[in-house]
Amino acid sequence: MQDHRISRRAVLAAGGAVLALPRLARAQGAAKPKVTVISQWSSGSSGAAMMALGKEIERQGGVWEHNPVPGFTTEMMNKLRAQIIAGDPPAASQLKGPEIAAWSKIAPVIDLDAMVKAAGYEAVVPAELARLSKPHGHWIALPIQAYRINTLFVSKKAADRVGLTKLPATWAEFNAVAEKMKAAGITPIANGGIKWDDGMKWEIALCGISLEAYRKALMELDAKTLKGPEVLAAFRQFRNFGNWSDPGIAGQDYTTFVPRFMKGEMGMLLMGDWAAGIYKRGGFQVSDYLVGPAPADDGKIAFDLNSDEFIFWQKKEIEYQEGQKLLAKIVMSKELGPLFCQITGSIPVRTDTDLTAEGFNDQQREASRSMAEAAKSNRVVLSLAHNMAQTNQITAAMIDVLTEFLHDNRISPEEGQKRLVDAVDNVR
Amino acid sequence: MPRSRLLSRLAIHATLIAFAAFYLVPLLVVMLNSLRSTEDISHAGVINLPHELVWSNFSETWSSYCIAQHCTGIQPYFWNSMQMVIPATIVSTLLGALNGYSLSLWRFRGDKLVFGIMTLGVFLPEQMRLVPWVIVLRDVGLFNTISGLVMIHIVQGLSFTTLFCRNYYVSIPPDLLKAARIDGAGFFRIFWRIVLPLSPPILIVTVIWQFTGIWNEYLYGVTFSSGEHQPITAALIALSARLSDAPQYGEQSAAVLLAAAPTLLVYLFGGRYFVRGLTAGAVK
Amino acid sequence: MTWRERWDRVLPHLVIWPPILVSCTYVLLFSAWTVWVSFTRSTLMPEYSWAGWHNYSAMLASRNWQIAYTNLFIYGGCFVVFTMAMGLLLAVLIDQRIRGENIYRAIFLYPLAVSFVVTGTVWGWLLNPTIGVQKLMHDVGWSSFRFEWLIDRDMAIYTIVIAGVWQASGFAMALLLAGLRSVDVDLLKAAQIDGAGPVRTYLRVVFPTIGPIFIAVLVMLLQFAIKTYDLVVALTAGGPGLASTLPTVVVYDFMFQRSELAKGSAAAVMLLGSLAFVLVPYGLYQRWKRRKAGAYA
Repeated sequence: MQDHRISRRAVLAAGGAVLALPRLARAQGAAKPKVTVISQWSSGSSGAAMMALGKEIERQGGVWEHNPVPGFTTEMMNKLRAQIIAGDPPAASQLKGPEIAAWSKIAPVIDLDAMVKAAGYEAVVPAELARLSKPHGHWIALPIQAYRINTLFVSKKAADRVGLTKLPATWAEFNAVAEKMKAAGITPIANGGIKWDDGMKWEIALCGISLEAYRKALMELDAKTLKGPEVLAAFRQFRNFGNWSDPGIAGQDYTTFVPRFMKGEMGMLLMGDWAAGIYKRGGFQVSDYLVGPAPADDGKIAFDLNSDEFIFWQKKEIEYQEGQKLLAKIVMSKELGPLFCQITGSIPVRTDTDLTAEGFNDQQREASRSMAEAAKSNRVVLSLAHNMAQTNQITAAMIDVLTEFLHDNRISPEEGQKRLVDAVDNVR
Repeated sequence: MPRSRLLSRLAIHATLIAFAAFYLVPLLVVMLNSLRSTEDISHAGVINLPHELVWSNFSETWSSYCIAQHCTGIQPYFWNSMQMVIPATIVSTLLGALNGYSLSLWRFRGDKLVFGIMTLGVFLPEQMRLVPWVIVLRDVGLFNTISGLVMIHIVQGLSFTTLFCRNYYVSIPPDLLKAARIDGAGFFRIFWRIVLPLSPPILIVTVIWQFTGIWNEYLYGVTFSSGEHQPITAALIALSARLSDAPQYGEQSAAVLLAAAPTLLVYLFGGRYFVRGLTAGAVK
Repeated sequence: MTWRERWDRVLPHLVIWPPILVSCTYVLLFSAWTVWVSFTRSTLMPEYSWAGWHNYSAMLASRNWQIAYTNLFIYGGCFVVFTMAMGLLLAVLIDQRIRGENIYRAIFLYPLAVSFVVTGTVWGWLLNPTIGVQKLMHDVGWSSFRFEWLIDRDMAIYTIVIAGVWQASGFAMALLLAGLRSVDVDLLKAAQIDGAGPVRTYLRVVFPTIGPIFIAVLVMLLQFAIKTYDLVVALTAGGPGLASTLPTVVVYDFMFQRSELAKGSAAAVMLLGSLAFVLVPYGLYQRWKRRKAGAYA
């Protein structure tokens, strides 16, 4: 068997050599610390933030090679898989949530414990993020930025028309505002109607109904809670969202509806706080909308967290090992916030980052305070729709149920809940 | 021109123009958007007339847009794609013509089975071929190279080019070949003197198919290349930023039009090979 | 036999066989690999532990697959019929030695040239009732105009047919036109002398001569239908809900998004298996034709 394999390889390699003629010989840098990174951040503000990170690496004497895989996360993971199969993983790659644990089983990763300890890092990041970054007891990944999912944006024009000055604090208040908007001829909810967006709206509903139920149902997959009244209430609220959305929603990126939202034709948008960056780029002012945390029925703080991390892959070459140390040092430092998050508009993961500095905006400051406070009182949960709470198998199965429910009024909330339970059981 | 003939001409043109309009509507939207600014699109919606003409979308996407740390626009990616698409198209078309010729006119034992297997190849979904290609590329040492992509597109393309050519050559009258064989012409002589002169229409169709397919391929393009060596489609997707970035429909539309230019040129220049009447010339 | 003759005999084989062998090996090996993986427990990476039929039964039981597979037949059927009809119509019209032939051809072909990631998005806007054609009609005063397939669970799949026909009919036209142009002029002259009109000439003389080209177009369209992916992703993203999903979307979703390589492979194998729905009737038809020919002989 063995020699057969070798001969096959030899034959293929001979063929390959013929084709390899135009290949460029790559000059190897001497012994400078080198960092290769795969991410999906190819352009726009995330691309710019990665560029800033690269510049910082170079400033500190390293070599930076960023290979972005544009498109969805899936394409990036294909690239990572391909590199791993080819025996050449990058020094670090973008990954998130429980996928960090899953992927760390298929190729060796490095143990960052010593560096994390030296930097005193664990004490200053939310415990939920620390848990994701050290799935088997050791730090193998580092978070770089966070976003708040449960964020409510209200169009200023729509708010003015119904006399709204303060964001609704509970779902009951929210629903009252929506009814008022509807009566005023405004489409109360802006939704694009693609899978992750639908799933996220449901998750925001549950997060505001009961944080405890969210944690048990979505993060621990507790069967009793999944079948419980809070999850059912989330389905009911989710149905409201559907009824209050434009019937024309389907298969559109939510950004398609930003013009109508800003004109006041649509009232409220439940979306991660990155939406603010999109308004800014579209030339809208902070005064064009109200923004703050989504409703929470118990009146307490709740933080539905989305975060991006770098996982560090084991490399034999010394220059990569040095490069990984350099990258880890920069990522864990307090400077990462001003360096990276200021560009993307995200929340620095270090809760001790000083956001009063120029360059951060009020929304970032509010969200960051909220995250620090929630972290202190154990009120942080992980996003389902953004693959933070569960592995992709379970997430995708649940989102299938949610998106079908939203677009089909014939499915009752009870039936929706039953399907959700079944979907989880089938994958588990 | 008799009246009835004039009427039928008019009817033909009217029908073609109606269809052309239907075909052009989406292109019109893309063209309009390519001249609009991001602000304009996010204020006035995705389907609208330009508020003012922003020609800089084209120059910026072509030469100064930043993708990762390289602010070179889509230009280098354009040339990467050229390096990939030209050899792959030429080789796969020529081999396809040869395959088609031997499978249709030369025949050998098992030719039907061989043709059947090759035809099955056109049906394999690209998602399913992704992981096996990783393994093959690793083993031949062409991972992350344009040569690797060329190899993939030749091998996969053979199924299509062979299918097209074989089914075109099948209807060549056998008498034509018989006469040549009696004259003592061999395999290549017949191919060169009789079959190739008959082939321009099908060869151009094959070139159109291969060129277009390879030029627009994305999944393998991003998985099997990296950084500055990525093909144009990777750069196009990079422009349609996701999630935390506003989609820049203006620049993206301009990029798409720029990227489609080579294929349109192939269509226009290839057009003159759709000629009739070569058969008659070849016999004499 | 001289050295030269012998060389003439061997050379063709040296040229023909390598590409044919590479091509066949590629098809067989890749198919076999996928079938194999579909029987394993592979998740993130291919691994070779036996799982039996589990992946197949799991896929068959999943709503994703059931909807996608049903859609494949609706979409595939409509797409092939309409694209073939439109391609043929355009090819015959263009074949009438019309002025501006080259321009028309380029227009009909261009949808293939433009990356569908963008044109698909544009179709999504055009067909969306709140921003597209319907809104335009309302704006110009035709307020009763309705075109809401995109948001209708039962009709969304047909929007993909529209965009698919738009994208592929140009190529069908080109392939058929190449066929039409290959027909021997003498044959056409003979038909003319016999007094056959243009319709009769096409039906009786031209189309039968290029039968194999029709098969090539059919195969091309079938593979297009089976492999349709970016069309759905860009146009409806499989929605509303899951209503317009297609098998390739499920295959990609399971293989790479959900990291269920084995289940995705099982779906791919079943997708290829759907070819049987075309091949078996075709084979039976061929046999019937041969038998009929035999009976007359």
